[in-house]
Amino acid sequence: MTTALGFRIDASACIGCRTCVIACKSKNGLPPGRHFRRVVEYSGGGWIPDPEDPTLMAPSGIFAYCLSVSCMHCEEPACLRACPTGALRQRDDGVVVIESSRCAGCRYCEWACPYGALSYDPSSGRMAKCDLCIDLVDGGEEPWCVTACVTRALEVGPIHELRERYGSLDALAPLPPGERTRPRLVITPHPHGQLAGRGTGHSSNPERDLR
Amino acid sequence: MSDHADDGLTGPSSLDRRDFLKWGAVAGGSVLAAGGVGAGLPLLKGPRLPWDIDDIGLPPSGPVPLTGGEWIPAPCWHNCGGQRCLLSAYVVEGRVLAVKSDDTHPDSPETPQMRACARGRAQQGQVFGPDRLRYPMKRRNWEPGGGRRELRGEDEWERISWDEALDLTAAELERIMAEHGNESVLELGSTLRRLFTALGGAVTNWGSTSWGTWYHTGPMIGLGDGLSSTSHNDRLDLENCELIVLWGGNPAWSAQGNSMYYYLQARRAGAKFLFIDPYYNDSAMTLADEWVPVRPGTDHALALGMAYALLDEDDPERNPLVDWDFLNRCTVGFDPDHMPEGADPADNVRDYILGRRDGVPKTPEWAARICGVSAPRIRRLARRIARTRRTALLTAWAPARTHDSDSWPQMFLTLGCMTGHIGQQGRMTGVSCWERTADGGPFLVGAGGTGVPPLRGVPRRTTARINNSELWSAILEGEYTAGDGDRRPIDLRAIVHDGASALNQVSGLMKGIEAHRRAEFVLTLNFVYNPNARFSDIVLPVTTQWERHSYFKGNRDHLIWARQVVEPQYEARDDAWIAAELGRRMGIDFADMLPVSPEQQTFNRLAGAWVVGPDGRGRERLVTITKDDIREMGVEGQPQEGRITLPEFREKGIYLVPRRPGDGLGHIAFESFRREPERHPLSTRSGRFELHCQRMAEFVRDVGFSRIDPIPVYRPPAEGYEETFDDFERGIKGPHPLQLITLHYRRRTHSVFDNVGWLRESFPQEFIMSSVDAEARDLATGDVVLIRSRHGSVLRPLFVTERMMPGVVALGEGAWADVDFRTGLDRGGATNVLNGARPTGQGHQGWNTCAVEVTRYRGPQRLPPDWRQPPRQPKGAV
Ligand code: SF4
Repeated sequence: MTTALGFRIDASACIGCRTCVIACKSKNGLPPGRHFRRVVEYSGGGWIPDPEDPTLMAPSGIFAYCLSVSCMHCEEPACLRACPTGALRQRDDGVVVIESSRCAGCRYCEWACPYGALSYDPSSGRMAKCDLCIDLVDGGEEPWCVTACVTRALEVGPIHELRERYGSLDALAPLPPGERTRPRLVITPHPHGQLAGRGTGHSSNPERDLR
Repeated sequence: MSDHADDGLTGPSSLDRRDFLKWGAVAGGSVLAAGGVGAGLPLLKGPRLPWDIDDIGLPPSGPVPLTGGEWIPAPCWHNCGGQRCLLSAYVVEGRVLAVKSDDTHPDSPETPQMRACARGRAQQGQVFGPDRLRYPMKRRNWEPGGGRRELRGEDEWERISWDEALDLTAAELERIMAEHGNESVLELGSTLRRLFTALGGAVTNWGSTSWGTWYHTGPMIGLGDGLSSTSHNDRLDLENCELIVLWGGNPAWSAQGNSMYYYLQARRAGAKFLFIDPYYNDSAMTLADEWVPVRPGTDHALALGMAYALLDEDDPERNPLVDWDFLNRCTVGFDPDHMPEGADPADNVRDYILGRRDGVPKTPEWAARICGVSAPRIRRLARRIARTRRTALLTAWAPARTHDSDSWPQMFLTLGCMTGHIGQQGRMTGVSCWERTADGGPFLVGAGGTGVPPLRGVPRRTTARINNSELWSAILEGEYTAGDGDRRPIDLRAIVHDGASALNQVSGLMKGIEAHRRAEFVLTLNFVYNPNARFSDIVLPVTTQWERHSYFKGNRDHLIWARQVVEPQYEARDDAWIAAELGRRMGIDFADMLPVSPEQQTFNRLAGAWVVGPDGRGRERLVTITKDDIREMGVEGQPQEGRITLPEFREKGIYLVPRRPGDGLGHIAFESFRREPERHPLSTRSGRFELHCQRMAEFVRDVGFSRIDPIPVYRPPAEGYEETFDDFERGIKGPHPLQLITLHYRRRTHSVFDNVGWLRESFPQEFIMSSVDAEARDLATGDVVLIRSRHGSVLRPLFVTERMMPGVVALGEGAWADVDFRTGLDRGGATNVLNGARPTGQGHQGWNTCAVEVTRYRGPQRLPPDWRQPPRQPKGAV
């Protein structure tokens, strides 16, 4: 599987604008409440009495960054293992796709995936997910999230090439450590990026009440 | 327009019964119900989607098949502050299936694709959304003279025909003007301006909104206002900066499209970023090396403290911090030896800073108490900016959207002049925001004019103009300020919302509702059921730009020509057609209203389009037009040679001027002035930067709201930090202890897009509070809070973050008010419910100075997430 495809996200350039999210919704026809791609916000630090002026407060280690995440088309996909009907399968190019006609709607995959990549469609009673825009990629084009990004922080390509160029970091807090499913993901860290599983901050999406 | 001038009503719908029933089903059977309301009228036209649509006007699920159609360059036409991006709509049989952005050329940092933001990509939700106004409507309990006026905003609606709507509107406007004169009609938009001009004029509004005090102060002291003229260098020169200071700006939210990409290029080239802002905003998150939290409305005090530190520590030999050469040659008013003609030498800036003028030295310690930045940090900040040779001192308009901030731009300029960061490579001082974020200088490409001649020779029957902060009190109290000591009576009977969103978008919304319920007649032209429409008597549905002939817009180095994407939806009509039809009923010649066809206007703009010459000199024609093109368009004109053929421009929808460093198309603001100020004077009175500006002081005096000094004297703003105290000296807080700032929010461009489901979901209109203040109130993210100012109360879900400075809270501006009339609480999160109408200075809006208190809401109202709430639709007539 040397030609397996993966994503690179540049967390140092992500402004959290959700353009990729809307582009994805547009391409995949997803109404509010459903998504294949999300932007995760992570922040931390706090306020202390200003050491130079005790009448004031001063920021102490305040940081924030965003990660745009979708299906990671993992090398060891947890969803695939959890699926009792064999509806999920991995193509030769590593893209994890779902054969909707075989999906029973049990939602085990949704529960198994540590990236929240699977989306239940209440109108059909079946699951759906990011397919890396294979209709476009097969024709030599790029996925819509990639061409939508206003800071050019998303990239798709053969994962070994991405790893050669950008290193092997595949997780940052609040994502789970990469060992679990071996995501095909390369992250260029934000200067304040924190190690997965060892972060001092917290997820801070204002819209997290939706999930 | 001529395409629609034939009739008043759309013919029988082409929609087949299957589609019709689907639409009925998803809209809760309401179309069928509407058949009863609009009995005898033709069926509705639309929706234009081939599948069931859900309540956001978008396909419910499943990959969108991109076959059998065509991509059409589609307008993104809003006052969004973005870089002006290219949209492309995939249209199959007159229906839009998907929207994408610029892929017309390979992407590069020098000549980037003009990529759209989330809003642009969600444009479908506006054009085909469920709260689209579908046909003319009349408020049930309205009758000429007002009817039951107190029901405005709560009344039911009746569908009426275009003929009836136009007849009623024309008759009522004519009656009011005949009985009470032109001065009884208040026009708050602009799309009927030509009609009112033909009728002898109506009362209009004035006052800087977005710009804050940059609008008037900026040009008077020698800097640009930041939009029509800029003071910063072009985007490629930003890469020459060592330090970029962004003072009170968040382009990641307020200037979307490519602007953050431009700043990221500067960061990659090695620039450090310093943010001064109460909020560690998303731009700071991405770019900042240092963040200095400052209290809203106190930026001026912080800058004074920095200026004091510079004067205090400056030693021309051993520690040069002040650029005396620049001050002496290029400015007036800094010290007694360089005063403008006729000014009192005692009124100089240096002595004010040092306290010789008023006995109060503006020391960093003095400033710290006001602005919340410690004195040692103020000193370090001043040194860092002064000692970093290639520094861009950039601000956005937000700090100037505060009460009494008329002198703030002058203080900002003072800092720029003292440090000499003006007029050289990598050095600049001024506004970098909105459409012009990170890219200053005159345009390199542009469209020609429409060729529509202005209406001349009609005598004006009124010249009254009312400041935005007095609009509602003028209606309620019958008086307005016309100048210094000049209060005049006025008797306003009609409100016309021809575009804009005045009720929601000027301060003092609660008073605005009262004023709307006082008027005899309220008219709205719009394409959605926004608050203007809700509080009206007659509502006329207009087309969006997707339903109109052409749209031209660009920025410094590109021009967009977008086209009509779909037919007018439902019974919507162009504003120009409405103006002409109303005019015809009021005795105005139809041809006066529509003198040039849309096709000819498009042609004129193309034929007149220009692009800068190859070395940055002169202008050339942009578009090559052939005889065949002219024949095909059915217009009059001459063939011409240009850089791009008309068919190619039509297909791509965009022309970009290719850029690269050293191409002669860059821009260094004030470069020649700095070199030779005598030969290249500024357009100020003195020809220099005016740190003493008599004209500014006179201007503010003549407006009639307050007085200011000709030099940058700090004035504690109305409802600023000082007013959060009962006793500032003794540190005793008052009933409104928190400072509210109102942000450009990513869901919207001002009030536009507030109805789009995708955006409502992604951006929940959260109320932002510091973790310190939340803890003190025992509040957490997700709690519903009650926010109270002196002017109104709002309910919102809370979002707690360490990224906000303690003492400061924030809410996005532009959400549509949703006032519950029993409790008086707004559930929509409209900031102008909280912002009071308090005219100060040059009559700008002081949105970032508002004092509030926040508590847990314990009342009976529920507040589900915005995107789960039903769409805003007219009661009784959907
Ligand atoms: S930034 Fe403005 S022009 Fe660009 S896509 Fe967004 S709303 Fe449209």
